[in-house]
Order: sequence, then C-alpha cells, then structure tokens
Amino acid sequence: MLITCPYCGPRDVIEFTYQGDGNRERPQPASQDLDAWNAYVYDRLNPAGDHNEIWQHSGGCRAHLRVVRNTITHEILSTAFARGGHKTESRS
Amino acid sequence: MAEQPLPERQSPLEPDYHPGSHGNFEHGVDVILSEMRPGTILQLAAWPGEEKQLIEIIGKVTGLALPDGAGGGVSSGARAGFGFAPGKFTVVDEAEGLAAAFAGAITPAIGTLTDLSHGRTAIRIAGPKAEWVMAKFFAIDFALPAFPLGAGRSTNHHDIFAQIQRSGPDQFDIYVFRSFARSFWKALCHASEEVGYEVQ
Amino acid sequence: MSPRRTETGGRIDRLRTIRFTFDGAPYTGHAGDTLASALLANGVTLFGRSFKYHRPRGLLAAGVEEPNALVTVLRGEVREPNIAATMVEIYDGLVAVSQNRTPALAWDIGALNQLGGKLLSAGFYYKTFMGPVIGPLKGTRFWMFCEHFIRRAAGLGKAGTAPDPSRYERMNAFCDVLVVGSGPAGLMAAKAAADQGARVILADLEAHFGGSANWSGETIDGMPAAEWAQRTVAQLGGNDNVRLLPRTTVWGYYDGNTLAALERVTDHKEAPAKGEPRQRYWAIRAGTVVLATGSFERPLVFPGNDRPGVMLAHAAERYVNEYGVLPGQRIALFTNNDSAYRSAVALKKAGATIVAIVDVRADVSNDMRRLAGEAEAELLDGHAVVATEGGKALTGLKVQRFDAISGALSGDARSIHADSLLMSGGWSPTIHLASQAGAKAEWDPARQAFLPPKPTQRWIGAGAFTGSFSTAEAIAEGRAAGVSAAGGTAAPAALPIVEAAPGDPDPAPVFEIKAKGKSFVDFQHDVTAEDVRLAHREGFVSVEHLKRYTTLGMATDQGKNSNVPGLAIMAEALGKPIPEVGTTRFRPPYTAVSIGSLAAERFGDLKPERLTPMHDWHIANGATMYSAGLWYRPMIYGLPGETVEQAYVREARATRESAGIVDVSTLGKIAVQGPDAAEFLDRVYTNMFSTLAVGKARYGLMLREDGLAFDDGTTWRLGEQEFLMTTTTANAGKVMQHLEYFLDVIWPELKVTVTSVTDEWAGAAIGGPNARAILAACVKDTAVDNATLPFMGIVHGRIAGVPVMICRLSFSGEMAFEVYSGAGYGTHVWEALIEAGQPFGLVTYGLEALGTMRIEKGHVTGAEIDGRTTARDLHLDWMLSKKKPFIGSAMMDREGLIAPDRLELVGLIALDNRPLNGGGHIVEELDEDNPHDSLGHITACCYSPALGKYIALALVKGGKARHGTRAFVSDPLRNRFGPVEIVSNHFYDPDGSRMHG
Repeated sequence: MLITCPYCGPRDVIEFTYQGDGNRERPQPASQDLDAWNAYVYDRLNPAGDHNEIWQHSGGCRAHLRVVRNTITHEILSTAFARGGHKTESRS
Repeated sequence: MAEQPLPERQSPLEPDYHPGSHGNFEHGVDVILSEMRPGTILQLAAWPGEEKQLIEIIGKVTGLALPDGAGGGVSSGARAGFGFAPGKFTVVDEAEGLAAAFAGAITPAIGTLTDLSHGRTAIRIAGPKAEWVMAKFFAIDFALPAFPLGAGRSTNHHDIFAQIQRSGPDQFDIYVFRSFARSFWKALCHASEEVGYEVQ
Repeated sequence: MSPRRTETGGRIDRLRTIRFTFDGAPYTGHAGDTLASALLANGVTLFGRSFKYHRPRGLLAAGVEEPNALVTVLRGEVREPNIAATMVEIYDGLVAVSQNRTPALAWDIGALNQLGGKLLSAGFYYKTFMGPVIGPLKGTRFWMFCEHFIRRAAGLGKAGTAPDPSRYERMNAFCDVLVVGSGPAGLMAAKAAADQGARVILADLEAHFGGSANWSGETIDGMPAAEWAQRTVAQLGGNDNVRLLPRTTVWGYYDGNTLAALERVTDHKEAPAKGEPRQRYWAIRAGTVVLATGSFERPLVFPGNDRPGVMLAHAAERYVNEYGVLPGQRIALFTNNDSAYRSAVALKKAGATIVAIVDVRADVSNDMRRLAGEAEAELLDGHAVVATEGGKALTGLKVQRFDAISGALSGDARSIHADSLLMSGGWSPTIHLASQAGAKAEWDPARQAFLPPKPTQRWIGAGAFTGSFSTAEAIAEGRAAGVSAAGGTAAPAALPIVEAAPGDPDPAPVFEIKAKGKSFVDFQHDVTAEDVRLAHREGFVSVEHLKRYTTLGMATDQGKNSNVPGLAIMAEALGKPIPEVGTTRFRPPYTAVSIGSLAAERFGDLKPERLTPMHDWHIANGATMYSAGLWYRPMIYGLPGETVEQAYVREARATRESAGIVDVSTLGKIAVQGPDAAEFLDRVYTNMFSTLAVGKARYGLMLREDGLAFDDGTTWRLGEQEFLMTTTTANAGKVMQHLEYFLDVIWPELKVTVTSVTDEWAGAAIGGPNARAILAACVKDTAVDNATLPFMGIVHGRIAGVPVMICRLSFSGEMAFEVYSGAGYGTHVWEALIEAGQPFGLVTYGLEALGTMRIEKGHVTGAEIDGRTTARDLHLDWMLSKKKPFIGSAMMDREGLIAPDRLELVGLIALDNRPLNGGGHIVEELDEDNPHDSLGHITACCYSPALGKYIALALVKGGKARHGTRAFVSDPLRNRFGPVEIVSNHFYDPDGSRMHG
C-alpha cells in the first residue's frame, strides 16, 4: 500500500504509523464530562468503506496526516496535513 | 582563562572505517564511500507561514538559495541545505560554529534552531552505482528526474532514520543518527561489495 | 550426442558440455539446458515418486508448472528441496537428487501404497485417524501417534538443517510500466512503452526472454520467432529506460500497484561473484502493470495419465524446439483442441514418428486434418485414450470411440504402441496476478477457461493472458497495452507480421474420460477424479471445501495444472455449470519464495545496533555488554573470576562508598523549543514546568490519555523558550511520537518544535560521596559547589577543553551529577572524568549496579510503569498538579483507577536470604502444590549491598497497608517459594539526605 504524503509524495506504508480513528474529538482540556472523555479515549468508528484516519509519516517527514481510506479496497481517497498551516507543495 | 583547543571529534565509524578498495573491485570500483565530517549540522524550523522568511534568512547567513517547495535544496561546496519536512530544513557547513551565526537571526517569531552537529553522521556515496546501492536500503525513487540535484528526502531503513540529499548526479549525502551510524555504515559497505567500493 | 538429442535446433550450445549428477549418477548436458531437458536428452524418464502413492512419475511440463519432477539441489551441506527440474539451469558440478523415494527412485518400497488405493482416498486422514473415544490414543492423539509415520511416507523433499551461507538482498524499484512476461505480447508491450519514453521493467521467470516465441516454430517479420524475440530483447537492452530482469518471478501483486518479485541471481552459476546475492527480492512500485503472463496448457484426465512418458503437448514442443530434445520416437497425441496439431507437426519435423492423433472431437476441421497429414499421423477423431501401459516408461496406450457430448465410450479398445503420449486439454490464462490484485475471474464458455477480470488496479492485460491465444493477437494487444500503459496513443506503424499454423482457440468441453483406473487431476498431491466425486458424495459443495478436503491444488504448484479440470469434474458431479461452482482466489506467492529472500539483508543481523559514543571504551575496558532495545549498554565491568552478582555488588558498593560513573547516553533526549514550550510541557506533564527557572531541572511524570502512567524523566530548562526533556531509554521513541501527535493533531496552535537530540549528547552520570570532589578536580569555567550547583541545578563549564553541561540530579540516591557533552567528545570527557576520579577510587558501573541502586532507592522504571499502573499505584500522586489540566488528568480518577485493592508499589525483603525472581508471585498463604490467590508480582530484584539482603520491588494488592507484614513468594516455574517481608519501596536513605548532601 502506498500513502501519498503531502510533503514527501507517495511512500510505502512501512514508513507510516497508524494513529487511529480521525473522527474523535478531544474534549476541552478542563472538561469533566467523563462520557465525552470515554468516547474520545475508547470509542472508535470502524466503517466498512471510507474512513477518516490519522497516520504519521514516522519514517519520513514525521508529519501527521489526515487520510481518507477505504477499508475494503485500501484505496486512499485523500491525504492532508493534520496540522495545516504549512503551505508546501506536494511532490506527488 | 586561555581556552584549550577543542579535541578532534571522535567518528562513530572508526573501528569499521577502512580506507581502500573492497568487495568485487577487480573490475573497477563503482561506488566511493566516505564520512563527510562536517563541522556544523543544523535543523531550522519555521512556524507555519514563516517558511519563506526562514529561507531568506538561510540565504543571508549561508549564501544558500534554497528553492521553495517540498524537499528543495542546494549543495555547493562547503555548504548545503535542504527541506526535509514541512517548514523544516537541514543546513550543513564544513566549518564549525554556524549555529552562532544563526542565533540572532532566527527570532522566536520565525522559528527555532537546533544544533545537531554531533547527533547526526554524514556519509557520502558517489559513483555510477550509487543509485543501485541506495535502492537496496530505501524505498524511494533515486532516479534523477524523481530526485533532482540538491533535493532532500526523509526516509528510513528499518529503524534507521535518514535524511538524504542528492549532492551530485551520481552522489548522495546521507545523514543518520550518530548511534546508528556504525550499523548503517557496515550495512552500506556490505551492500556495496557487489559493485566494488572504495572507502576514502 | 545423447540418444534423444536432435542434431540441430534449439538455443542450447552443443559445443559446450556441462557435467552434473542426478541421484549420484554422472550426466552431461549443454549450456542452455535445464535439468529436465538434459536428463530427458539422456533418456531419463523417471524423475520422481508421487506424493501419496509413490507412483513413478516423469516430466509433465517444461516450465514453472511442473508438478512431478521435483528435485533437491545440494550445494555443499545446504539443500534446497522441491524445485522443479524444469526450472533448474544446469551448471558444471550441479548436484541434484530425486525425492520421496526409499531407498532409490527406480525401486521404491513406498510404491506399495498403490495397493491400498482406497485407503488413501480423499479425506483419508480425517476418517482414518480419528482415534477411539477413550483410551490412551483417544481423539486426535491417535493422529499424533500415526503422523510421524505418515509424514515420512507421504511428502516432498526434506528441508536442510545446515545454515544457508548465501547472501540475499532486497531492491526497491520504481517504473512507469512493469511488464510481466516476455512472450510476443510482453516484448511488444515493453518496446512500445519504452519507445514512448517510459521507464520500463521487463520481468520473466525464465532464463531467456521470448516466451512462446522460443519454441512456437512460427515466423515473425520473416524470421524465426525466436530470432525476432532475440532482436527485440537486444533493442530493449540498449535502452537506458529499460531494466531487463530475467529469472525473475513476479510473485505478488499488492495494493497501490506494489509488486513483489524474486530474481534468481546466481542459482544458475557454479558460484556467486564476490558480494553477489544468490537471490534478490524486488519490491516494485509500478505506474501501470502490463500482465502478459501467457497461459498454461491443461492435462486431460484419463486413466494412467500420470505414467512417465505422458506429457503436455506444448511441453514436448518446447523440449524439441528450445532444447533440441525429443521426448520419444513413437509419439501419440491426445487432444480436445487444435493446438496439439501444431505440436505434432513440430515433433515430426524434428524426426519423431507421430503414430496417432487422438481427438475427442468428431468434427475436426479440414485445417487440422491437413496438419495431421503433414505430421503423417493417423487421425483418430471421435476417440479417447482410456488406458496407458508401461512401468517406468510408457510402452503404449489404448483408445476407444468417444462421444464428446455424452462422454460415452463405445466399441473395442485398440492398442497403440508408443513411447510418448502428448496431451492437450485446452489452455488456461495465467491470471494469478490479476486475481491477487483483487478481482474475481470470469468463466468464458467458448474458451472453456477463466479469463482475467476487469482491472481493480492499474494493469492492462495482453496476449494469451486475456484469452487471445494467437501470436498475431498477442503482438497487437501487447503493443496497445504498452502504448496505453505509457500514457501514449497508438502509433500507426505496421505491426510485425506473423506466420503461424491455423487453429481454433476454443477446445471441446471435455475434461475427463471416465474409464477404469486412476485418473489424476492433481499430479503433485495425487488427487484423482474419483477423489473429487467422493468429496461430492460426502457432501462437500463449496469449491473451497473441496480444495481442503481433497487437498486439490494445495501442493507447491498451487493447482496450476489441476485447478480447472478439478472444478469441471466437481461441476459435473454437482450438475451445475462451472461458473456457478466458482474458482478459488489466487493469493501470493505465485511460486515458492525462499525465506532468505524475504529476510534479505536482515539475515544474521536482524536489527541495527545503537551504540553510545563511549561504546568502544566500554569494550576495551572489560564491559560485558547487554542489549537494551536496540542499544548496547555495559551490564557489568567484571574483574577476572567475578560472577555477575559479585561484579555489580562491588560496583554499587564502591559507588555508595566513594564514587561511580555510568554511561547514560542512551536516555531519550528531546529538545522542546519555541514560545509555547513551557505551556506545552504543562499540558504534557502532570506537574508544572512553566514555573521552572532557567538553569534548573525538574522531575516530571507523563500520563496517557486514559490516566495511566506513561513515562518519567527530568526536564531541564536551558532558556526561556528552550527545554531539554529526558525520557527513559525504552520509551524515547514513544514519547517523541506522543509529543508530535499532540502538536500536530490536538494543539496545532502551539508554537513548539520537538527534535530528537538523544544522539547529540554523550551523558555520564557520576555519583557517590566523592562525586563533587572529582568534578571539582576536572571542571573548568564553573564552580560545582552547593551554592553554584544546588540539587536540580544546571551549570555550563569545560572538562579537558570540551564544553559540558552539568545537572545535579540523582538516580542512585547518592550525591550525583549528569555530565553532558557533544557526542563526538563523549569518550574524551569520559576519560577525563575517569582520570580525575582515580585518586578517589572511582569505579565504572553498568546496568546491573544502576538497577541495584535504583531498587534500593525505590525509583520506578518501565518494569513498574508497565501500562497498567497509575501515578497513585507508584506513590507518585504528589506529582499530580491540581492547578491545571494535563494529559490524563480527566481520566485518572475513574473508579477503577482509585480502587483500594489496586496493585501498589512496595518493597520486599527475602526472609530466607535467597535471591528473588522477577515475575514471581506474592501470596498470603503458601501452597506449593496448588499455587493460587496471587496478591501481585515482583517487578525487579537484586542483592542489595547497602542492606546486605536480597530485596525486590513488587506490585502488591493494597500495597502500603501491608508494610511490615509477612507474605510469601510463590514462583512455581522456578520452584522458588519462601517468606518475604513487605516494606516501603524506599529501602535506602528514605529522606534523601545523601543526595541532597
């Protein structure tokens, strides 16, 4: 499987680390809403189809990416920097 | 107090660094391996939106005109620089002390400066089979159109991170973590035996 | 010249003789021969014994699909079993042996298995070896009892036990177009793509490019096809954009057009050149793949179809046209399609007598009748072979009238004298890679074959792979595929002109002749047509179950010959059309792949070594090194005759009495820089860092999001916006990722850079009552007295001319300092410290003494921060700030994490004065025969020189409340039982007066 890093271009999946479901939203740091924290820490979507995921290009530029991946076909539909802000052209 | 001169830095490769020709060299040496031992290796990072500013500062301080864009870089004699991650650049100088030259220029509003002169080991591979040997280690495309002159890449070989700059049509400079350098060097020599190699 | 070698023809070099042995007997062949062709030329007909019945077997095929002629190749002590003789290129000194025979190939006592044919039918193992319900051999125990004998009787070659000295390598390759297969379609595709300027890789599993052009006897552009292929390959070879990979099997097609291939670099050579790998594993990322993998000829299923001398028709054509070897002198052919007629003509031309062409079809075309005439063969249309005769070689066959529609035989059997029978049951496109790529094959009723599916990845098919069996079609499709793969538009140039024998690509739908005797479907696993029907009668409906029950297609050839005939027979038994029975999906690898090639450069040196700057000094000074993760660290610096325990006790004692020094360069070090660095650390650590003064360090604890403890270490404030974080050696990578994740994903607004600087700094920790005096003796440019360098203070100075950074902190519990210098100066500074320490009796100490002193102090490490413990469990709740939220703060007070019966950190003292073991359990009441009711376990243990006792740290239920009570260690695995006292984890100097000085 290849993932196209917005900075480094397409790279082999072995250069990446899966960092989990990208749909989770972290509660405000001071939030005492334990249900919200539970959902954030433990609940994971596991759709058969397109899925929002976080991957780190740990064996490359180390940026975290938001990746939309089809969990059935493994097709990568899109990748983007999780952090945003950096205007760096893709090498593709 | 009169300052004692600094001792020579110890190379991590030393016991396994054997100048001369090795491997299948009877029909010629197809790659040349060497440790570059630059005096300065710096990491410069810009906050989002400040990349162009940083590239300008690098130009002013070092004379290196880094092209904008992912992995853009230049290698010119004593100095080299290249992008290796969003907003991040590696700048290398043969001489020590380049960090001091940057210290005033990189303000907190622009980004950060990290001195890695001891922490990274620079290894050069040159020769007609340099691409061939590099392909044994890294899953990136070393062909010239895909990896242009001066450009930088971040990748890894198993657990060994590497930043690679193409410093010539047949030449690559590999920056690895110092603690891994000897292991990587041994593997590089082993992989070069097939084509015949010379250590300079 | 050997008896079966033709005078001319083929690509072998008759002037070069090569000597080799097979089963100990010397043979000769020619350069260009395979082991199969060379032995065939020498008149060898018997190549192996079959898997279950030990039936004599000869060559069925000439290529990679060969199921029978499997051999073991020996190189010194190293043996590689189960290689098809058809894929072994001979070289001088080749040593090959046959397999699955006792004591010899020609006289095999295992052949007695044939007499028990019924016994070894489908599902034999399942049925026979379900043991009695009770008794010593009940259930599967009976199978386990019998297995040993059966495995010896049935099977393939024996694996070797000698270490493989060969070198294997991995290569990463990138191309615009990967062409798999180098027949006319593949060659055209490669050339067309290369002409468009694309980067092309052409791979073929054979040693010579050209595929069918090498043996078809056809003419392309006015020259023999083989010559046309050679010229095309030469053109390709002269192109810088093209990489030619002969002897390279593309065996896996993965996501993202990533393909795996195995190149056999030196298997055909007497010895590799220096540094040359035996095999190379290619990981190829291709823009587009052209699949020009051709097709396999299918056997027909009829009684005695496995007798040596029965061969696929095209294989005989290959042997004669490519290797100049005639498989027989009196040859009969048996076919359900037109392609065998061309084979007949080729063999006739080479000098054989074609005694008959037996065709199941009554309506043979005039073209084929003409070809039969050309071969001077008697044409027996509407006939079928019902038996074969002979032992280790064919002597004849029997034919009967046959109705291709009903499958009925009629009339008297007629005997035909022949020494070779060639069969053709139609052709199956080699769709394996397309199937691996994820799509389901489609049955084509005209071709009677599974055709490749619509592409699910970026590949284009060409030639026989698509079911286009003629060379003219292959050439046209190949060029179109090559142009399209390179992103070009079709060139108007004329296509090469092909002159070929006529032939209808569609066979008659006949797969099996039902007559008395064993008719083999899967030659390699000895599965007969009757086995398939038996499976059906026993209720197996799904093709997947059929496969597993009969083991059809599960041998090393993975059903390359048997897949379609097996399905056809199953379909007939079910009364369903073949597409409704379905086919199994092909999975990687296409052919067997050596483990060595997968391990590649990791062989023998599985992981890289991480070395500290002082590594060589440690080795030179008698350290016993210990691998900690990837790092190598001194375990002890043992003196002659010392045990490990004696060494670390000496080192720890000397440190506490005077001073000791230890290499701490492996500690994870992360530069945390930027305007928001302090704020970031406040969020990451449970305690405050924004309040830390510049030039001071603080001990910090991190939790995970779920509130459990994650890592600890000291962080030094080097500037207003600059921190140096240290982590445990083991967690350095994980902590780095943790920080990067929060900066990238959760708090992108924070202006913070994190950089691994572990390797930038060499670290030496020097501790003990004399540590300060030693520093004072060698540090310049700064004082190190209590006022200048208080506990957790940082100073900058010089040692032996080298700038150093010194922080006063302690892991050993003694007055201690960590001295950091640039890694390139690490040894220089280390030696200067050693020298300065000499008058004080400074010792170097290793991990064992380090661990001993930390246990005495009750400090935690990864053994206690084990992913299950909380800060409270470890008595670190004093570090949990109440003034701010931090990672884990919201979750750390959940009910289960504050329950009173949690495992808590305690100290243990062995009351029997014997060593304790990590992992040993703690119980209230000792019951050696029935250990139960664990209260917790030991995490770390040592002999404590400070206490003069064997002590341990442990996680024990209700920990603190048990201080001063007695319990027992219960460690049945190591047979270690005995009384312990539970105490505080702070064994030594609990108020810290020694380190605060």
